[in-house]
Amino acid sequence: MKKLKITGVLLACILLLVKCQKSAVFPADQYNDQLSGGDETVFDATSQSFGNMFTGLSTYDEHVHKLGDLVFNQSFVTEPAIIHGGLGPIYNNTACTNCHHNDGIGLPTAGDLQSSLLLRISLPGADEHGGPVPVPGYGLQLQDKAVFGKVPECKVNINYTEQLFYFADGESYELRTPTYTLSNMYLSLAGGYLLSPRLAPPMFGLGLLEEVPESEIVANADPNDANNDGIKGHANYVWDAVTQSRQLGRFGWKANTASVLTQVATAFNQDMGVTSSVLPVESSYGQSQYDGLKDDPELPDSLLNAVKFYAQTLAVPARRNTTDATVKHGEALFIAAKCASCHRQTLTTGVDVTRPYLSNQVIHPYTDMLVHDMGPGLADNRPDFGASGQEWRTSPLWGLGLVTTVNNPGYYLHDGRARTLVEAIMWHGGEAEGSKAYFSNLSSADRAAVIKFLQSL
Amino acid sequence: MCFFVIGIAGCSKSSLPGTTTIVSSALEGQVLTDFSNNLVNPNYQDIQARAFVMNVAIDSLVANTNTANLVAAQTAWKNTRAAWESCEGFLFGPVEDDSYDPDMDDWPVNKVDLDSLLASSNPLTVSDITPLQTTLKGFHAIEYIIFGVGSTRQASQITARDKVYLTSLAQSLYNTTTDLRNSWDPAAGNFTAQVINAGAGGTYFASRQAVFLALVGSMSDICNEVANEKMQTPFAAQDSTLDESSFSHNSINDFTNNITGVQHAYFSEYKGAAGHSLHELVAAKNASLDATIQSQITTAIGSFKTITVSYEQAIYTQKTQVKAVQAAINTLQTTIEEQLVPFIKQNIKD
Repeated sequence: MKKLKITGVLLACILLLVKCQKSAVFPADQYNDQLSGGDETVFDATSQSFGNMFTGLSTYDEHVHKLGDLVFNQSFVTEPAIIHGGLGPIYNNTACTNCHHNDGIGLPTAGDLQSSLLLRISLPGADEHGGPVPVPGYGLQLQDKAVFGKVPECKVNINYTEQLFYFADGESYELRTPTYTLSNMYLSLAGGYLLSPRLAPPMFGLGLLEEVPESEIVANADPNDANNDGIKGHANYVWDAVTQSRQLGRFGWKANTASVLTQVATAFNQDMGVTSSVLPVESSYGQSQYDGLKDDPELPDSLLNAVKFYAQTLAVPARRNTTDATVKHGEALFIAAKCASCHRQTLTTGVDVTRPYLSNQVIHPYTDMLVHDMGPGLADNRPDFGASGQEWRTSPLWGLGLVTTVNNPGYYLHDGRARTLVEAIMWHGGEAEGSKAYFSNLSSADRAAVIKFLQSL
Repeated sequence: MCFFVIGIAGCSKSSLPGTTTIVSSALEGQVLTDFSNNLVNPNYQDIQARAFVMNVAIDSLVANTNTANLVAAQTAWKNTRAAWESCEGFLFGPVEDDSYDPDMDDWPVNKVDLDSLLASSNPLTVSDITPLQTTLKGFHAIEYIIFGVGSTRQASQITARDKVYLTSLAQSLYNTTTDLRNSWDPAAGNFTAQVINAGAGGTYFASRQAVFLALVGSMSDICNEVANEKMQTPFAAQDSTLDESSFSHNSINDFTNNITGVQHAYFSEYKGAAGHSLHELVAAKNASLDATIQSQITTAIGSFKTITVSYEQAIYTQKTQVKAVQAAINTLQTTIEEQLVPFIKQNIKD
């Protein structure tokens, strides 16, 4: 009897251990595939579904997250100010949330209060770290707004040309091609510069993606297409201005940013003109708009850290309708079309004993975090470290089906040119040419199944 | 299968012991209908009506800039503000998704830019100010002009430029309150239908549970914002200029109306017209939780009466009372987060 008891206790211990080590023990496909963010998945399909805090944070961590949430939603104002000063002198928007509305994507417009599109600019070639070359008087990003009395760098004009296309079965679809022109330049700008539009991406799940081991990401790379499948993803190694070192690029449409901290500090600095201890130089330094104030860094470290932590601890919305037969069929087609070769369904975060909420999580982000040639149609022709002018990071697809709810009507791709998921698929080219062709040749019902699957993410 | 069950049992963070029967579906539907028809729509209509009165009062002030008209404009501002702050007890749906909140109530005022703008000769019509930063518009920009720093504004100090700007600000605010009203109005944007038909044809909410979670989430959020941001920021810094309504010295009213908005949300009530409510749903299944929530709401709202001076003064002279009010609101918030949210998840299944 006693032996039985001991065996029982041992068995319970083993089961408990097994439970906590699930990624090492179980293949991913045995997990509940609703849990896109592992333990940090939230069952929320409302317009607020991108803005939920992780569960399991300590009381202190919850406090920091909530502080970050407040700052994320806070409008910044011109110095000298009683609080939340540091805006500008030149900027793209006044608050994080104005671009990342509802912690989601934004509108592909420029110059309005709720505009979420900005343009990167550079000269051809590479700087001493292999990165883009700043344009004298403009830097690496165009700020199209300014505080009162200062002049914005330019006005960004967006025009679309519509074109009608047909699937193999005769059904039609439209694609709109954007062109970007600059006007009202504050300073003459010689030709030959390179532009790249960037739409504000969703905020959730970033901490989990940051925690995926570099080795796991690099292991999926196939730069020389050794397996001969036509897909040649590679890592983008970038110069990280915060750590002053070469790092794996993880974030941004071209994976040009190494960490959430760098992403957040760069957004404060470049998008809002708010300096921090890690990026203390005003974006307008050396330009006529420079304020000359000795107030840098403008953002206290505690607030920078809080926003960083906020961005790291936003939970991933759960999938819906995962058992629906059409969704299942669409998923099979998604895999058959080799979409999942880049939009990898499963990654596992590394072990981090100091941050158990990020540690050892099996997640389903639908990205390999590598950059791929997407063809000339999507190309910005502006290299960004190791990402060429045709290469883009595989965009995570988790939460995709909620975009129309969170950011109605919803826009897709790096510049928001796609208005529907069908358009987004049909813009794929380069390494994804085969997958696009597969989708294009499907029956109307099968294409709808693929879309229904994507809407379940 | 065995592993899966153990995994679920061990990992579940929100499961509660107790009943598994669900609340009457019919009552849930009645609550959503009355929440929309007895509270949200009348509240938004009231904000618009009061903004109209403020618009007229500001027109009078601009036409005849005297003390009586200044006081009338200030009173109209406070009345409009009261209706607005009250609706912050249930801040979800178009008010957030369409940015009506920051359009009307961004803070702080960008004082440097606002002073420069008024000192300039830039045009200030409604269409001119539409693209301006939200920190140059809305309630607090109007407050800055008609109350002034330290609530010291005299009618004689209001300049010609102030008057032009004030007229456009008031009109712009009124336009936004109209958009907000229309967003829920069954005859216009009809977000009401999304709430009433949640989980049954509505496209916005996947289920009724989602609406109730959005509602109690917003009740919790405003408690956090009042106790731990609006009250705490100036209190911790011992700086009354950090009060949200520091120009008008209206902050205590703001806070009280915010928490009264939570009460309204719990009872589907506005101006005494109550209907089927969240309170009924909770009471039907857990009378003790309902009594706790009711009592904590009453205590939190009542606690503001212990502060006998403006909040601008209280942070220096009535610190004990300030701390007690914060504690009362935080207690309510904890109950909402730790008991009401799980209650919704447990009992509202459709």
